Amino acid sequence: MSLLARYAENLFWLARYIERASSLAGIIETHMAYDRARAEDVSWAWLVTLHSDQEKFASLYADTSFKNVLKFYMADINNPGSVRFTLRAARENARALRATIPSEMWVQLNEFYNRFLVISDADLDPIRLSRTCSQIKHGCCAQLGVADSTLYRGEGWRFFLLGLMIERADQTSRLLDVKFAQLKTNATNQVADAVFWSLILRSAAAYQTYHRIEQRGPDPNRVARFLLVNPHHPRSINYCLRQIQFMLNELCSDFQLLQVSSAQTRSMAMIEILQQAAGDQYLVANLHGTNDEIQRGLMALTNDLATSFFGYSETAQASQSQSQA
Amino acid sequence: MHPPKLSGPLDDYNHAPFFCELMRDGLQRDSALEQIRNRLRNLDIATLVARATDAEIELFNQGITFTVYSDKDAIDRILPFDVLPRIITAKEWSTLENGVIQRVRALNSFLWDIYHDQKILRDGVIPKRLVLGNANFRDEMQGLNPPCKTYMHINGIDLVRDRKGEFCVLEDNGRSPSGVSYVVENRHLMQRAFPDLMRGVKIRSVSNYGEMLMAKLSEVAPPRSDNPSIVLLSPGVYNSAYFEHVFLAREMGVPLVEGRDLVVEDDHVFMRTLAGLEPVDVIYRRINDDFLDPEVFNKESMLGVAGLMRASHKGHVTLANAVGTGVADDKAVYAYVPAIIRYYLSEEPILRNVETHICGTPDGLSYTLDHLGELVVKPVGESGGYGIVIGPKASAAELEQCRRQIEANPGNFISQPMIDLSVCPTLVDGKVEPRHVDLRPYAITGRDTWVLPGGLTRVALKRGSIIVNSSQGGGTKDTWVLEEETT
Repeated sequence: MSLLARYAENLFWLARYIERASSLAGIIETHMAYDRARAEDVSWAWLVTLHSDQEKFASLYADTSFKNVLKFYMADINNPGSVRFTLRAARENARALRATIPSEMWVQLNEFYNRFLVISDADLDPIRLSRTCSQIKHGCCAQLGVADSTLYRGEGWRFFLLGLMIERADQTSRLLDVKFAQLKTNATNQVADAVFWSLILRSAAAYQTYHRIEQRGPDPNRVARFLLVNPHHPRSINYCLRQIQFMLNELCSDFQLLQVSSAQTRSMAMIEILQQAAGDQYLVANLHGTNDEIQRGLMALTNDLATSFFGYSETAQASQSQSQA
Repeated sequence: MHPPKLSGPLDDYNHAPFFCELMRDGLQRDSALEQIRNRLRNLDIATLVARATDAEIELFNQGITFTVYSDKDAIDRILPFDVLPRIITAKEWSTLENGVIQRVRALNSFLWDIYHDQKILRDGVIPKRLVLGNANFRDEMQGLNPPCKTYMHINGIDLVRDRKGEFCVLEDNGRSPSGVSYVVENRHLMQRAFPDLMRGVKIRSVSNYGEMLMAKLSEVAPPRSDNPSIVLLSPGVYNSAYFEHVFLAREMGVPLVEGRDLVVEDDHVFMRTLAGLEPVDVIYRRINDDFLDPEVFNKESMLGVAGLMRASHKGHVTLANAVGTGVADDKAVYAYVPAIIRYYLSEEPILRNVETHICGTPDGLSYTLDHLGELVVKPVGESGGYGIVIGPKASAAELEQCRRQIEANPGNFISQPMIDLSVCPTLVDGKVEPRHVDLRPYAITGRDTWVLPGGLTRVALKRGSIIVNSSQGGGTKDTWVLEEETT
C-alpha cells in the first residue's frame, strides 16, 4: 500500500517547521553572540525587514527595539514566523502523524515543545538568550536526528527530506539577504564588512569549514559563492537542491511516483540559475535578485508537490503553504 | 536489625461500610491477592507519592493526553492515573467473561432481529415504541446484512459491584466505547514504575488488544477480500479521544484516516494515497452515526464521507460498529436486556441488571415519583455522567426540579436504586483512602466474541462521589486480572 497523501504532506511540513525554528534561533543566536559591537539598544529592524514582516510588526509593536523584535520572533503566537508558532505547527503535524511515525519522534518533539512552552521573558533577556536559542537548536537537531535513526525509509522519508531541504535552501537564501535588509534599514552599513560576513558564515554553521576550504578571510564574494554553490556544505543551496533532485528521482524510480516530473524539471532549472549566478562577477551586487529568484523557485517547487501529491489544485493555495511567505 | 518501619499506605485505611476490592471481607481467600496486599502494605507512602508524580509526568510527555482548546491555545491534560491497582481474581474473571460474551451475543441477535423481521416486537417482549420510536433506531439499516450478523464489533459494558461484592451491569456501550487505550497504557506505565510490586505476580496480559482487534475486524471484511484493507476513521486531531484513535491505529498497524482522506466511487470506498486511490474494506469508525455520511444523516457534517451508507448497503465495506447500534445500548432498552437474553439464547443472564424503573410506563413513573429521594434518576439520551440526579445526595430543591423534569417528559428518564459502589484504596493528596470504582471490560466480536482480560477501572476521586466519568473528576487505575492458579 502506498502512503496516505496527507501523511506525506504532514511529514513534509513537520521537517520544514523544525528547520525553520532552528534557523531562526540560529540567526538570532549568532547575531547576539558575535555582534557585541552592536549593543542591545541598536535597532533590530533588519530582522523584520528580512522576513518582510514590517506591516504585521508595526500593527503589534510600538518600535523595533531589540526587546520587541525578540518577543515578536521568539514568543509571539500572533506571528506565524515566530519560533513559538513554528514549533506549535511542527507539533500539530507530528500529532497528525502519531499513528504512523515512530513514537520516539513524537515523544522527543512533545517533550521539547512542553519545555519551550514555559519560557518566560527572562529567557529572552540578553543574559539568557544565547542559552535559550541553543536549547531550541538542540531540540530541533534532536528531532532530525531521531527521524534519521528511526523513520522508515519509505515515501514518507523522502517527503520529510524534501521539506527539510526546501526549507534549508530557503533559510540560507534569506541569510544571504540579511545584508540587503540591513542596507535597506540603515544606509551607513557597509557591504564589505568582514565582521558581518563572518557572522553569516557562523549562522550557516559554515565558519570553520569555510576557513578550512577557502583558507582566507571572509570576503563577500567568496562567502556568497560558498553558501550558494559549494557542493559539500550541507546548508549550501546547491547541496540542498541536489538532495531535492535525489529524493525526487528516488520517488520516481523506487516508488513509481511519476508525478514528480514537474518538480524534477523545476529543480533542474534552479540549479542552472544557481550556476549562472555563481559565475557572475557582480555576484554580491546582484545577490538580492538571485535570492528573490531562488525563493520564488522554492515556493513554486512546494506548489508542484502540493498539486502533484497533496491534492491541491494549481490555483488553490495549500492551507499550510500560506505561512511560507 | 530491621530498619524502622515507615508509615505504610494501608495503616489507616478504613473502607467500611463498602465492599473493598483489595480487602474483600467475607470472600474466599486468594493467595495471589494476599501477596499483592502484603507488598502494598510494605511500600512506604513517600515512595508511592514520588512514583505517582513520575508516572504523571511520563504520561504528559508521552502525550497520553486529551486536549482542551481555548481560543488562543491548546492545553494538554492527562487523565488522572492512580497507581494502586484494582485486582480481579481468576474465578471472578471467568464469570465476568462469560457474562459479557452472553450479553454481546444477545444484543447482536436483537439488532439483527429489529433490522429484519422484528420478531421480538411482534412477540411483545419489548414495547415497539421503545425500539421504533428510539432516536438511535436507523431506518437506513433495515435489510442490511452485516457480515457474521455482527453489529456491535466493539463493546464496553459498565459494571459495578454492590455492598456484598456482587457484580451487576449498569450500562451497555455499543457505540464506539472509548478508554481501552488507557487499559493498555496504564499497564505499561505500571510495569515501568512498579516492577517490584508486580514481580512474580501472574497477571494476564493486555498487550495483544490491537492484534485481536485486527483479527476480528478481518473476520467481518466483505467476503471478496482475503487480505482486507482496514482503516481507523477519526474526526481528527481536535477530537478529545484523538490519543485513543492514534493508539488503536498504531497497535493495529493501519492508517488513521479522516473523512477527507476517503472517497466513495461506484459504491466502493477508497483512500487517497500518493499513488492514487486505494480500496478500503473495513472501517473502524470513531465518528457518530449522525456525522458519518452527509448523504444520509447530518447534511452539514464535514467529518464524514458522502456515500458510505451506499457502499455499506451494497456490502462493499464493513462499518464497525454498524450504524444504528445505539438503540441497543439505550438506557430504557437496558431494562429489557435480561428478557432479550432469555428470548434469543434461552439462557438465564449470567450478569444481573440493576433494577430499573422506566418513567415512560405508568408503573415506573409513579414508583419513581413516590421514591425520588432514594433513587438515582438518569436521562435516557445522555452519556458521560451528565444530568444524573442522585436522590439520597440531592437537596430538596434539586429533587423538586428533577420531579418537574420527569413530569414534563417521562419517556426521557429512568430510575434505579442507588448502588453502594465498591471502593479501592486510592492515593489522594498524599494519603491512601477508599474511593468508589466501576469496571468496563472490552469485548470484540467478529465471528465470535473475545474479551480483553482486564478492563478500564474508573475511580471517582472526589470523596464520597459515585460518578466515575472523566468529565466529572474521575481517574483511572490499572486493572489486574490474575491468572488461574496451577495446583
